[in-house]
Amino acid sequence: MITILSIILFTLLVLIGKSRGFKTFGIFYLNLFLILVYLFLISIGLNAILHAIIICIIVSATTLFGLNEVNLKTKSSFKAIMIVLIFIFVLTFFLGKYANIQGFSAESLEAIGGYSFDLNYDMTNVLIGMFLIMVIGTIIDTSISVSSALNEVYINNPYLNQKDLYKSGMNIGKDILSTTINTLYFALVAEFIGFFMWHYGSSFGYIINYKSFVVEISKLLLSFIASILIIPITSYITSKALIKDK
Amino acid sequence: MKKKYKYLIAIIISLLFILFIYNDHFLYKRSILKVDKIVEKVEDNESTKEKHITQTIYGTIKNGKDKGRKIKVINHTSTSGVYDEQVHNNSELFVEVKSGDTAIGITGVKRDKYIAVLLVIFFNSIIFVAGQKGFKTLLSLLVNIVISFLAIFMFQKHAGTWNMLLLYLFVSALFVTISLYITNGKSKKTLASVLSSIASFIVSFGLAFLIIKLYKKPIPYWTLEYIEAVHDYENFFYVTILLSGLGAIMDIAITISSSLNELIEKNPKITKHNLVKSGREICKDIIGTMNNVMLFTCFTSVIPMTFLLMKNGIVLGDALKMYSQVELIVVLTSCISIVLAIPISLYISTFILHSYKKKGDDK
Repeated sequence: MITILSIILFTLLVLIGKSRGFKTFGIFYLNLFLILVYLFLISIGLNAILHAIIICIIVSATTLFGLNEVNLKTKSSFKAIMIVLIFIFVLTFFLGKYANIQGFSAESLEAIGGYSFDLNYDMTNVLIGMFLIMVIGTIIDTSISVSSALNEVYINNPYLNQKDLYKSGMNIGKDILSTTINTLYFALVAEFIGFFMWHYGSSFGYIINYKSFVVEISKLLLSFIASILIIPITSYITSKALIKDK
Repeated sequence: MKKKYKYLIAIIISLLFILFIYNDHFLYKRSILKVDKIVEKVEDNESTKEKHITQTIYGTIKNGKDKGRKIKVINHTSTSGVYDEQVHNNSELFVEVKSGDTAIGITGVKRDKYIAVLLVIFFNSIIFVAGQKGFKTLLSLLVNIVISFLAIFMFQKHAGTWNMLLLYLFVSALFVTISLYITNGKSKKTLASVLSSIASFIVSFGLAFLIIKLYKKPIPYWTLEYIEAVHDYENFFYVTILLSGLGAIMDIAITISSSLNELIEKNPKITKHNLVKSGREICKDIIGTMNNVMLFTCFTSVIPMTFLLMKNGIVLGDALKMYSQVELIVVLTSCISIVLAIPISLYISTFILHSYKKKGDDK
């Protein structure tokens, strides 16, 4: 099944996107491969947070510099992505430490019941690693859109100062923002529908404190926050770099 | 100056909100225990090297008729925390109390405050970055959430009689129409993007449906999270496929229709042929950017489960086959629908915007 779907995806990408479609397909499978490498690394006992950060850096570098090229806008995007990643790390670190949302909820009990829980490995780290890898896709996408658009603005109006450039970056970002939030909402909404069908009839107070609900809503809100914060940071760094380059 | 006041007010409201959620114990019927002291007894499991911890928790009840009572409760936990909670000094727990000083057991952890903090960060950042447009985005998000809930209620009320897939096909069309009209206003551009989105999701979903139906081997869709909540496993799987790519399809449709609209406005005499030609160039730029978003957002949810399987001695390939195959199918079908949305949106938008333009010329 996966082979059939991959072939269809490949054909469509190449038909519509030509060489860029080809590259996209390559990057997509490289990223999938990197997620699997991550799973392998943590399963042999390596640190889940540290390796999630390393994987995120590799993913950003290959997507930015591979799909596009090494230039001022991709370099600025890369810096901005790292800053947002650090912020999300701090946020998820505290969330993981205090909210007790690691591991599994009662819904998964049937699936995990047959296995040993004595992993000798803190599941909180796996959770933080998952959050970090989850947000990287959307921040790369938003960041590159903002920095390339900003670059276009600068080429067309080379006399703009940094403040104006930053402002137009924010304006571009505003347009991207609503569609990005929509995309993320629908990407995760099926899980919510399943959750609410499972817990149909439970009280509001029960649900908002329930482990798997907090995990799902954190996924959603963390990706929202990351994709919003990347906009001003990319605009600032790119506008500064463009002016400095003059 | 005025902007500064707005931010100040937003921050004050946020802080008050967090303060309220941190002290909302009176809203709960279940007894909440605030931890005062924890005594831990650690036991090593020789063969697995896992530490099993028995926590004796001393705390005070914060709400209800037992408010102020000192209670003791036992919690069993481990260093891995696969299916147990390690209680911290500032944790608050839902407990079941009877007479005496020992609670029967812990029924949950109070986690609403963490959601509140994340919500506040989200609201503040969206208002700081997008201002008024942020409100529109929030409104469309809220409407989508309300529709999602209504659909769940309707479905559960008519459980067994309604077809989940048909319901969500209808709901998807509703999602698309309402959120695009809220965020972009009423215009021919929006109309073009709504029709392109609907056509795209119908075509791409039909394709996915056909491939899966024609495929002989069974797909283990029962490994999807929460699927046991629904009696109709197969249709829940199709609904997941349908919804996952929907947002991205809308993104593609609105990008293409606005850029085509720009082209027409800049050059009202542009021919249909040239419009499609320029549209193709735009398509090349936007192709594939969303694929990675789908991959990272959807596929990462398999990490904890696959990790557990691998730690139990199952090799990566088998763990993926057992558990992650379905998620990957969902990601791949969404990617296919995103790519398919590009030519579909291009032709529908060209057709609608160009015919509108002609009408304008006649006047």
